[in-house]
Amino acid sequence: MKGFTLWFTGLPCSGKSTLARKVEETLLERGVNVEVLDGDEVRENLSKGLGFSKEDRDTNIRRIGYVCKLLSRNGGVAVAAAISPYKAIRDEIREQHQRFVEVYVKAPIDVLKDRDVKGMYKRALAGEIKHFTGVSDPYEEPDKPEIIVETDKETVDESTHKIIRTLELMTYIPGVDAESEYSDEEEEKIKRRLKDLGYI
Amino acid sequence: MAFKLFKRDKKKACVVGLDGVPHSLLTSLIQQGVMPNTQRIVQCGVLRSMTVTLPEISSVSWSTFMTAKNPGEHGIFGFTDLKEHSYELRFPSFRDLKTDTIWDRLGRAGLQSIVINQPSTYPAREIPGVLIAGFVAIDLMRAVYPRKYMALLTRCGYQVDIDTAACRDNPRQLFSELASLLECRQTVTDELWKKEDWHLMEVVITGTDRLHHFAWDAYEDAAHPHHGDFLDYYRQVDAFIGHIHDRFVADGGNDNFFLLSDHGFCGTQLEVYINTLLEENGFLSFEGDEGLESISADSRAFALDPARIYIHRKDRYPRGGVDESDVPSIKRALTSMFEAVTHDSTGDKIVRRVFDGGEVYSGPHAHQGPDLLLIPKNGYDLKGRVGAKTVVGERRLQGMHTWDDAFFYSGRQDLLSATEELTIFDVPGKVLRSLDVDA
Repeated sequence: MKGFTLWFTGLPCSGKSTLARKVEETLLERGVNVEVLDGDEVRENLSKGLGFSKEDRDTNIRRIGYVCKLLSRNGGVAVAAAISPYKAIRDEIREQHQRFVEVYVKAPIDVLKDRDVKGMYKRALAGEIKHFTGVSDPYEEPDKPEIIVETDKETVDESTHKIIRTLELMTYIPGVDAESEYSDEEEEKIKRRLKDLGYI
Repeated sequence: MAFKLFKRDKKKACVVGLDGVPHSLLTSLIQQGVMPNTQRIVQCGVLRSMTVTLPEISSVSWSTFMTAKNPGEHGIFGFTDLKEHSYELRFPSFRDLKTDTIWDRLGRAGLQSIVINQPSTYPAREIPGVLIAGFVAIDLMRAVYPRKYMALLTRCGYQVDIDTAACRDNPRQLFSELASLLECRQTVTDELWKKEDWHLMEVVITGTDRLHHFAWDAYEDAAHPHHGDFLDYYRQVDAFIGHIHDRFVADGGNDNFFLLSDHGFCGTQLEVYINTLLEENGFLSFEGDEGLESISADSRAFALDPARIYIHRKDRYPRGGVDESDVPSIKRALTSMFEAVTHDSTGDKIVRRVFDGGEVYSGPHAHQGPDLLLIPKNGYDLKGRVGAKTVVGERRLQGMHTWDDAFFYSGRQDLLSATEELTIFDVPGKVLRSLDVDA
């Protein structure tokens, strides 16, 4: 299987991380090597110290895009879950990839405000948080994402199914099929381990 | 996720497997004060020695434990078998198990199991709950059900086994890898404990078996440079047992706490090559050096590891020449020969017992098992190797399995009668009964 990048974009609290993890689980079930780069986690390490100005946001997204490119060109599935508000940068990342799937995680801002358990929207609306996407910073919707999930109308399972089904139809991932018992390579390894322990 | 309290309407049970830990070693380490947690725990229930199914190896014993069936029913007779009507070796997998497991039975009763590092469950398949396969799992991705837990295992740096090739002759690496393997096993156990609703938690420690194979001499010789390391590993195992037990009790568990091993262990003095013995006594000959593939048509018997004797039947093997009517007399002749074998230097009788496969196995697959099974005197490690020049050779490993020194501990005293002679076959039924499920 060739690698690819699955890029989740959407407003804060739209469900990007939840869906990314759910898709990760499903891909692992299929035996696919997958790595998730979650925006919040990346800001704690790879992009530690960056702020939320447009320049810093672009730098952060470029870094995530670069790691995704390395992972996917080596046969893995890179799943990015980041707000990535600016269309131009997302398109720039797409250009660097051979196989890129954009997932727009869509939900009305009123729903997101209600969903926001950390109260960030409330604080942003009160002016306590600057550069908050959707309130004090813009979010540019994708023109032609490969997949749109509407998390105010779909359950997590429904959205996940939609994403997985699209990937199957694009032949980016294999369908569910039966696995063989032992490959020749596995059989050799088993033989060696049994010999090491004196069982053969 | 909110902390889960045990639901009072469903019982829970917890099983810790200690691969290859003899009853005699466990009680000795308890008496020496090496395993204070285990001592505290076993004082509350019943600790007994037990025999295991034949042959006395993990794949067969654990398959018996996980199915509550004998090999004639579950169909696993060893780590190896011959392909049908062939002399080519094959390696039976979890998919060769011919009957359902206790986890399937619990599932039908609405109960979930978490099973960690269970040998002979590779490739993992769906069970009602979570399964992380143990030895001989190669690809971790195929060792896990459901696969969503790959992410957890990867984060924990989970490994199925130590690097046996590297550790075999490198004690420093052996003890280091054993310690870190047990640490990650505990981390994963803790994570799954809180992530899942479960009724049976089963985790198997296999490092004990590896330790015994590679460093049994370090235990027997108090002056051995790694004697302290050996005991330290058991201190870590003891801490693990104590941790699991105390967590089970703290979470509202009851007496349904069980410990068991799948076979015993003892030190190896010499290796004994059964096929060479068969050759020397006229039961076996070869027409080339391709191993069993070169077996001659007039051979009457051959052995597979560890000491499984097969009659070279006409209807079962490509060059087999033995008629079914001759099988009883050949078995008698073989039994007499094996019972008479002594070691030239010591005069020891090498074979302690000869079992007839027809008597120890029952069920629809019993005919696929060996015709005879040998139990050696402790110290004489019986091997099915083909091509050895002499019947007796130098040991390559420090420890070997034993059949009758495994152990079982039950926190439920009512599940064992005072006079019951235990075999591993009896254990799964007791675990099921502790959860009010019919055995």
